[in-house]
Amino acid sequence: MTEREWTPKIVAFCCNWCSYGGADTAGMGRFQQPASTRVIRVMCSGRIDPLHVFNAFLEGADAVLVTGCHIGDCHYVNGNEKTQVKYQFLEEMLQQLGLEPDRLHLNWISASEGERFANFINEVTAKVKELGPSPLKPAGVR
Amino acid sequence: MVKVGDMLVGYATDENVRSRGASGGLVTAVLAAALEKGLVENVVVMKHINEFEAVPIVTDNVEEVLASTGSLHSVPVNLAKYAMGRKVAMPAKPCDAQAVIEQGKRGMIDLDNTYVVGLNCGGSMHPVTTKKMLVEMYDIDPEDVVGEEIEKGKLIFKTKNGEEKAIAIDELEEAGFGRRESCRFCTLKIPVNADLACGNWGVIGDMAGNATFCQVMNEKGVKLLENAIEAGRIEVQPASEKAIAIRAKVNSVMEDLGSTLEKEIFPDIPDEERMQYYMEQMEDCIDCGACKEVCPVCACGEDSKCTMFHSLVDNYKMSMYHMVRLLHLSDSCIACGQCSDVCPSDIPITLLQSRFSIPSQRRRNYQPGINLDTPPFFEVILK
Ligand SMILES: Cc1cc2nc3c(=O)[nH]c(=O)nc-3n(C[C@H](O)[C@H](O)[C@H](O)COP(=O)(O)OP(=O)(O)OC[C@H]3O[C@@H](n4cnc5c(N)ncnc54)[C@H](O)[C@@H]3O)c2cc1C
Ligand code: SF4
Ligand code: SF4
Ligand code: SF4
Ligand code: FES
Repeated sequence: MTEREWTPKIVAFCCNWCSYGGADTAGMGRFQQPASTRVIRVMCSGRIDPLHVFNAFLEGADAVLVTGCHIGDCHYVNGNEKTQVKYQFLEEMLQQLGLEPDRLHLNWISASEGERFANFINEVTAKVKELGPSPLKPAGVR
Repeated sequence: MVKVGDMLVGYATDENVRSRGASGGLVTAVLAAALEKGLVENVVVMKHINEFEAVPIVTDNVEEVLASTGSLHSVPVNLAKYAMGRKVAMPAKPCDAQAVIEQGKRGMIDLDNTYVVGLNCGGSMHPVTTKKMLVEMYDIDPEDVVGEEIEKGKLIFKTKNGEEKAIAIDELEEAGFGRRESCRFCTLKIPVNADLACGNWGVIGDMAGNATFCQVMNEKGVKLLENAIEAGRIEVQPASEKAIAIRAKVNSVMEDLGSTLEKEIFPDIPDEERMQYYMEQMEDCIDCGACKEVCPVCACGEDSKCTMFHSLVDNYKMSMYHMVRLLHLSDSCIACGQCSDVCPSDIPITLLQSRFSIPSQRRRNYQPGINLDTPPFFEVILK
């Protein structure tokens, strides 16, 4: 039996009001993107705790995307500014741990930016494909 | 009249306290007076069991305070947590004082009602290492030790039969003994973050060995000293220019040594090898949670993220518990060494944590536990 080609598993945290809409628009607009993305909807990017990101990696994600509304557009005033601060610490921490920087991204995507969402997923997928599976992926998880 | 910024040399008026004290018994006398005069309700001190064992106690008994004289270099506990929810006065190494302030920032210690008598600190040793060192390097039975002292870079032990043996600390550390790793790269040697900064550096002439150098750091320090003078428990006089210069000189030598050792203790690990390094280091972790329990800057109770979202049955490559802690302590870790000290699997957890917290703090020009002008950095950035 030949091995199926490996595609990176990407966990994308999307906020209800913007980036989740962006993911939806990408689908409706039929922009090509790999099917291996797992979208997790949260009410606001500010809800994304570093703990959720750790959990995604420990369960086998090859990359994790933290996404939300553009700065100024957050539906809870400044949730995404808090996300930005938390993200800084998270990014530094995972880099020190030795995780390749390309496996973690922060991006602001509005509900109408379907193409932007699809391009983002495609870019990350291509980069992570080169890196191979995440070193934190548990044995037995593809 | 005592003022903020004063540099004084003083001692306990009680001869017994003065002679038993580490340098002049001033610290003990100040603590006792704070209790006697009602400045505080309790005092935290070390209750001696032997040279290598002591337990922190919270007491309202002046006699117990007076009995607690002397510096224990082989009992590296951190005293901050004993101040929680109390109105206390306490002795504090620089790292004790740092932890008190970090807890203060997080609302766990009421700083207005906590009096911190700082002790200079050249470093402390792990009791188990010290006992092993006595046997291997000094050829002394730990049971026979009655006293210990640091003089001119040498560590001296005195035994029951009146003998003394001195070995250079450098030599001990090269052989893998001596100060704890965290103390080797610690660069806060004078507790400028306490209310008073006391020590024996700068005590010269016929005062050497029986007086304490004391710098008044703030208004609470003024209160502590004036209270002890009024109670007739201490006598102080201004320190001479020479004494002040000597103290500053020794301090700067120690600070430089700490910075040099930091480079040795933390060699660079290339990006692509770091993950493997951390995984190997933490491989033997038995999930006992002792490193969290003992951490003096952790302000979480039992229901904390690192423990609640970590399950023993998860067969993850790295434990969620450690990942959360590495992140959460990146602003507050003071590299006090408590976590390494208690780890039953001998994981150098302080060194691992410091690889995260030191760069993170430096990048933001943030030193934990120094003063209240610098709130936890998450808060600062949002403003
Ligand atoms: C680990 C350690 C290292 C030190 N290194 C230096 C140094 O390099 N240079 C210098 O100038 N001074 C140093 N000191 C301070 C010095 O030894 C004296 O404590 C100081 O001069 C005050 O003297 P005193 O006679 O007034 O103290 P005392 O009246 O004898 O009171 C000492 C107080 O310290 C408390 N104490 C004892 N052991 C500890 C401990 N391990 N942790 C916290 N509290 C403790 C006791 O409970 C007591 O309240 C060190 C102290 C310690 C504990
Ligand atoms: S970490 Fe620093 S302040 Fe704390 S015991 Fe060690 S040398 Fe002293
Ligand atoms: S993580 Fe360890 S070294 Fe850092 S403050 Fe806590 S106990 Fe001390
Ligand atoms: S003290 Fe050591 S064994 Fe216990 S949880 Fe911490 S690292 Fe693991
Ligand atoms: S609602 Fe989208 S980031 Fe806050």
